[in-house]
Amino acid sequence: MTATELLSPRPHGDGDGDWAVETHGLTKRFGNVVAVDNVELLVPRGCAFGYLGPNGAGKTTLIRTLLGLTKADGGSMSLLGMPVPSQRGRALARVGAIVDEPRFHKHLTGRENLQILAAARGAGARERIAPALQRVGLTERADSKVATYSMGMRQRLGVASCLLADPELLILDEPMNGLDPAGMHEMRGMIQSFVAEGRTVVLSSHLLDEVERTCDAVAIVDRGKVIRQGSIAELVRGVDLVVRVECSDPPTAQRLVEEAGIATNVSSGELGLTVTLPAGSERELVAEVNRRLVTAGISVYSLQEVRNTLENWFLSVTSRFGEGS
Amino acid sequence: MTTLAPPPASFLPTWPMITTKLLEMRKRRGLMVVVLLFTIGVAILVLGLRLLLHAVDPNSFGPAGTPTVFVGLATEMGTFGFIVAATLGATAGTTDLADGVFRNLVITGRSRAALYLARIPAGLSIVLSLLAVGFTMLCLVTSFASAPQPSALNVNGVNVPLNMSEAQLETWLLDHPGLAAQAFSNGSVTIQPAGPFGGGQTGQTGSPPSVSPAAESAFLRAHMSEVYTAYTFAESQELEPPINEMVKIGLWLVLELSIGFVVGLGFGSLVGQRTIATIVMIILELVVTPIFAGVVIPYFINGQRLLVGVAMDQLRPILLSGGQVHGGGSRAFGGRALGIPPMPTWGMISVIVGWIVLWTAVGAWRMVTRDA
Repeated sequence: MTATELLSPRPHGDGDGDWAVETHGLTKRFGNVVAVDNVELLVPRGCAFGYLGPNGAGKTTLIRTLLGLTKADGGSMSLLGMPVPSQRGRALARVGAIVDEPRFHKHLTGRENLQILAAARGAGARERIAPALQRVGLTERADSKVATYSMGMRQRLGVASCLLADPELLILDEPMNGLDPAGMHEMRGMIQSFVAEGRTVVLSSHLLDEVERTCDAVAIVDRGKVIRQGSIAELVRGVDLVVRVECSDPPTAQRLVEEAGIATNVSSGELGLTVTLPAGSERELVAEVNRRLVTAGISVYSLQEVRNTLENWFLSVTSRFGEGS
Repeated sequence: MTTLAPPPASFLPTWPMITTKLLEMRKRRGLMVVVLLFTIGVAILVLGLRLLLHAVDPNSFGPAGTPTVFVGLATEMGTFGFIVAATLGATAGTTDLADGVFRNLVITGRSRAALYLARIPAGLSIVLSLLAVGFTMLCLVTSFASAPQPSALNVNGVNVPLNMSEAQLETWLLDHPGLAAQAFSNGSVTIQPAGPFGGGQTGQTGSPPSVSPAAESAFLRAHMSEVYTAYTFAESQELEPPINEMVKIGLWLVLELSIGFVVGLGFGSLVGQRTIATIVMIILELVVTPIFAGVVIPYFINGQRLLVGVAMDQLRPILLSGGQVHGGGSRAFGGRALGIPPMPTWGMISVIVGWIVLWTAVGAWRMVTRDA
């Protein structure tokens, strides 16, 4: 799916509006601290959307504001095309959400906890309890007290609670937190299956790799501000291309590449070079590096393009990580 | 996707919301043990033991259902029932927050006021059903396992006929000069202010105080209401309580425990911390209310009257009032246990209704405005 496709309004079912989530100038302050700073966010329908940022970037605060758990200090927002808070009840009837870690009454069973939430949801939700439990694989433990549940089971129960609304939009706050690799794999599969059903999933996370694996599009947030948003492929395209070269004479090779003026940075080690080419470079530039070395009589043993990950890009654009390094 | 209809924006809770809240509360085992213990547990223990001992050795142990036991257990239900109801209310007002479930409920889109109000019928159904069981048991034991009723009332050594109306008592006392002074001037019953019969008269089987028939007649005309209250109280100590008096006490207990729950819920919701709310409610019931109800604080008497416990003490049925008698106030329930001058009936009702409405509003307001 291309960025254009992702960020263009898509046809939708019985919902309203063009975007699953839309905010304009959304701001939330806690005293002098601006947790959500003039956020402009557009989440297309029918995709998995990552809201990515380091701890303390304001991810959970944005979600809480969207869901009406706390009041915004400025700006406007809408869920599924319905402005909130003015149509909050109508919008939330189509939304399932987990905020922070999923928490329940520990002295009650999973099923009883869902009964409480279904009662608040209204007619029809109670009938969805059994299918929701089955969907998340908790049917057998549904009548055990939540106190006996593992973190992964609580996460799954949280997802089941979202499904009581049969939601068009799921908002999951750090859904991978506390999960072991198997649990993460399971959660990833569940999220992908929701998207396959036509639902929109917004997940916040600081786990870059997970977002990259799970989401189609992403917004990067730092210090309350959305600093970039788009499809992952598009965002990664903005990252410098790094090539590792194993060769016979690294110092000479470094000089040759520097003199060619095609790299933004060149460093050499015992085994070879690390060449950084400008963002958007064609692969032909990699061949040019090879050509120059071979022409100068340097043996090139291997030439490897380092895979650009969202993490590389993320580290390069978020101020906090940059300051810390 | 078949999306649900949005939850109604109404502030009124639905029946499933109430029943699931009830489920959440009654499954708190520790709390339920405390509630059970102080609503019906003490009554079961005391009455069970007395029934058993009387059955085993009737000569040494009297009948289980004496008026004294009835009054003692009903008073216990009132005092500790209030505290237990307040604790349950504080718990109901804070557990969703403490368990982190509040945000899950808010996300459903349901009116926060409805979420709050669902707790009231849920909590009251627990408290009042247990009270009903305990109090019914107490009434049954008092009615069917009590000693034979006396044929006359012994008041300070004077045998006074039973079940007289106020007019009948006045006529009887005027027909028996001197006995009024002996029976009602002192002893277990105190008439305030002291009448012409004066103090120092023990009222035992000795000779009646030397009071002229004219003075006695004048006193009776002036203070017949208090004399009759003293008579009915003495009667209540000797006789098993009549059904209407039991009903009055039962209704008073219902109101007392309901107030405890509603105030505990509202205060708990306001502070968001169960322990603090519970401690404050215990201090209110066991320390502040007795002081405000019993001691006149100069220039602050109207402030004292604003306390709901003071209003409830004025409403307290005479059997539970310890027989203290003061002038004025409504006789609807005959309770006049106040150590301060009573407030007008409309004032008493206003204070009680005001506390219920105010704390419900405060609790709901906090729930609506709180960050989830």
